[in-house]
Amino acid sequence: MDADYTTVARHFQVNAPWKSISGTEVPSAHGQTVVRPRSNGRPPTGKLPPRLTGLHSLAWKLLIDLMVKIQLTRSKTIEIGFGGKGKSASNSKVDMTGVELFSGESRGAPAVRLVHKKDGWHILAAGFVPPPNGDLPQRWEDTPHQPVWELPRNFQSPSAAIAVNSGMSSFSQASAEAILREMSQGLGDSRPKPHTAISPRLSLKPQAKAEEPQKPAPIGRKSTLPPPGTPVSENGRRFSMRPLAEEGFHLAASLPEFQALWLGRLLPEGRRPTAASIQLAESALMASPLLHPAFAETKGNMLAIFVRRDAIYFAGYRKGEPVLWRRCPGVKGYDAMRNAIGKALGVEEELINDVLEDALVDPRPALEPFLHPVLHQLDLARAYLAGKHSMDTGKALLMGLPYGASHWCHMAEESVKMKLVPGHPFDGITLAKGVDASLAHLHLVALGAAIAAAEVET
Amino acid sequence: MKSASFHLNLLKDTERLSSSPVRLRVMLPVVALFACIGMGLWWAILFTQLLMVRAEAQDIDEDVKAKSKAHAEAISRQDRVREMRQQLEQLTYYRNGVRAIGKPLAKLAEIMPLKVQLTDLSFAPPPLDPPPKPGQKISPFAPMTNVETQRFVIAGRTTKETPVVALMESLDSAEFERLITREKRVKSFRQDATAEKGGRRLLAFEVEYTMPERRFAK
Repeated sequence: MDADYTTVARHFQVNAPWKSISGTEVPSAHGQTVVRPRSNGRPPTGKLPPRLTGLHSLAWKLLIDLMVKIQLTRSKTIEIGFGGKGKSASNSKVDMTGVELFSGESRGAPAVRLVHKKDGWHILAAGFVPPPNGDLPQRWEDTPHQPVWELPRNFQSPSAAIAVNSGMSSFSQASAEAILREMSQGLGDSRPKPHTAISPRLSLKPQAKAEEPQKPAPIGRKSTLPPPGTPVSENGRRFSMRPLAEEGFHLAASLPEFQALWLGRLLPEGRRPTAASIQLAESALMASPLLHPAFAETKGNMLAIFVRRDAIYFAGYRKGEPVLWRRCPGVKGYDAMRNAIGKALGVEEELINDVLEDALVDPRPALEPFLHPVLHQLDLARAYLAGKHSMDTGKALLMGLPYGASHWCHMAEESVKMKLVPGHPFDGITLAKGVDASLAHLHLVALGAAIAAAEVET
Repeated sequence: MKSASFHLNLLKDTERLSSSPVRLRVMLPVVALFACIGMGLWWAILFTQLLMVRAEAQDIDEDVKAKSKAHAEAISRQDRVREMRQQLEQLTYYRNGVRAIGKPLAKLAEIMPLKVQLTDLSFAPPPLDPPPKPGQKISPFAPMTNVETQRFVIAGRTTKETPVVALMESLDSAEFERLITREKRVKSFRQDATAEKGGRRLLAFEVEYTMPERRFAK
């Protein structure tokens, strides 16, 4: 498979017409040349040119502020604005609203408005917005029913990053061959599939190789991977991928084409915001801790656990680059944990949160059956990072868990001798007045989508 | 550490829409329509102006044709007027150039010495004008030069030299400056052969005086 990857990589270097037009060549973490697309087409801001000081700089800034900017965008529309700076979020280069769709949250769609100012990152608004009037289409025939969606005023940034939860999506850490195989398969073969279906090499177990298909499915006409970060349509699905810091592996996301089209047209042209990015919820989740202080403290060498309502994920980072993404097999998410506690302790639904936070009641006997496989997988992930990447991950960042984090930390310490650090999603980000951080765990995906789409540099 | 490494964007660049309310695909036809209307209006204005100018030119042409005879007559009259004015001017020149020499000539009788007998008083004709240059316009009434110089010749008989000298001294007085200048020349002084027949010996003389310049000017 490595040989296959090398062939593919060589093919990129030789036949890479996109290098000159759509991206810049940058060395990846493992020394290989990859192509990254240019920035997301944001207009250049009023940056002071060199050799201008004093009165010149003042005059230049005034000129930039007062100048009416007319720009032809990629979508063949004219943007007219004053200066290179945002209107509502003054002094900000980035103004992005991240929104998670179809999360199953009854309050609405979680949304976060992320803004970068001179003094750092700010959250101008966080909350739940009314979802679009219509469900995500499950087949091509549903796409004509295209709703028009508008966000509330406090979320009307110029651009939005949509993170979607779709049963027909696929997000995984996979080899080039596996990605090509999936791309060569049609839409009919790809729905809905387990998240680990295309990652045959991820397991640490020796018998994992035996689980691989002995005769790989023949690769279709698509024999080259698309440029990193550039979405491509193939066999009715939309694919996007990026190389991992580990040689031979990629992060790959895919969505049925009709769902991507439906999402792309959800926010209408001419109104704020319009979609600048469509991501899978898992992809957004992986980017969510990038602004967290723990991420900077460890210099991007970290293991993170994301607890969601329906699943638990492990993510590994090395020097800020992704090296591991894995869904905890056989374990459902936070809702399953609540159900287990409720059944074991005979506690009503409304009291479960209190039980998890109350010192008088010890829910650990009820938690243990649920947490045991999670901690086992955590240990495996740690071993994987230590073995493959020589990373000493003595502690892991725990995100998305609203209640009971102390029990998780205690049991992890006891069971796998690992320290869990509960992290608040909004740590490291300045909150504007009126932003409610009590339900921040529900905004993790929205925040991650905004961070990823803003292409944050930490 | 860049979040771009995590950004798996499934939205294609071609699908990105602008949030600006001004859209090219709306504005372009509108601008094109306005441009077409503007061009049409401009063309219509130009065409109207052309028609108006043509009509005006035709009117002027007809007017010029109608007035050409009167114009030619007016021109010829103007020419005649100009010619007559020139003649009048020339006559004025001549009037100004008239020499009033009656009084000096009358005075001449008073100063004439007793021993002098005048035989001839003549004005020598002015020198001939130089031939005109080729192509030079010659006015029929005007002299070729504005200044004319003549000579006054006094001829007579006398018995001796002294009366003639006295006459010449008398002529140098201011009363004769309209008639002659002080520029003079004794042209001849000889024995008069015709007078000797009577038994008396007489001398004939001729004195030529330069007259003051005669100016043909205003």
